Amino acid sequence: MFVALGAGIAVLTGLGAGIGIGIATGKAADAIARQPEAEGKISKALLLGAALAEATAIYGFVIALLIILLLK
Amino acid sequence: MCITDKLVSNLIEELNCDTVFTIPLFGGISISESVVVTWIIIAAMTIASICLVRNLKVENPGKKQLLLETAISGIYKFFEETIGEHGKRYIPYLITIMLYLGVANLIGLIGFKPPTKDLTVTAAMAFMSIVLIEYAGIHQKGVKNWLKSFAQPVAIIAPINILEVVIRPLSLCMRLFGNVLGAFVVMELIKLLIPVFIPVVFSAYFDIFDGLIQAFVFVFLTALFIKEATE
Repeated sequence: MFVALGAGIAVLTGLGAGIGIGIATGKAADAIARQPEAEGKISKALLLGAALAEATAIYGFVIALLIILLLK
Repeated sequence: MCITDKLVSNLIEELNCDTVFTIPLFGGISISESVVVTWIIIAAMTIASICLVRNLKVENPGKKQLLLETAISGIYKFFEETIGEHGKRYIPYLITIMLYLGVANLIGLIGFKPPTKDLTVTAAMAFMSIVLIEYAGIHQKGVKNWLKSFAQPVAIIAPINILEVVIRPLSLCMRLFGNVLGAFVVMELIKLLIPVFIPVVFSAYFDIFDGLIQAFVFVFLTALFIKEATE
């Protein structure tokens, strides 16, 4: 029971990653609308930022998985 | 409760990397499944590249050669922008890693177990990346300046710079492993819930799109770090 709760709390990291990627994508769409010719560079930066922001969610997921598998 | 138990045991089974056979040398070297799948990928890709580069001509090249040249020069151009002037010599390595990771992430589609789902494989890839990054720094700056670069821009930041040497491969390794495993777990859950048709749609995203994006991100980050190290 508490193991499942702990895993659930660990997965809350997804919240931050979701907000971060959402903001980044919104700004990227904004930037492309302003300067469509810079799309290549913008999407490159967006991809990098999204990958880095997503990593936090992945860490949370890995921790949750470890909690479930090792503490069970 | 029965379903969760089944899922957990299924997960543990997938997390474990089975030993396929043991080489009776030095007291037995166990060969795990991911290594065998990697050998298969190596063989397939070697044969594919031999087939692709046969009969290349300078004058009136065939369709295959034109396609190949366009693809390779496109990738080269992209990496040259990312990795900077001094890192050009590492591009072939990066392309090799990208091809391997791409194939490794997609190989689950034809029934093999993806090697990237094994933590040791991604750890090895990340270790190779950090060795290459530091080597690139030493090659470009020389040992003395490379050591000095840890204390830049200010000396007080040195511990963080040294920590980064450990954190970078750890994050590269965990990102790749977590993504592949996460996609797998979500797919298992969907399959448990609705076994008909719906998994196909999600599989296109989780298995194909996500796998390729992660292969790309891994290489892209390595290229970026190399650029930083050689500047």
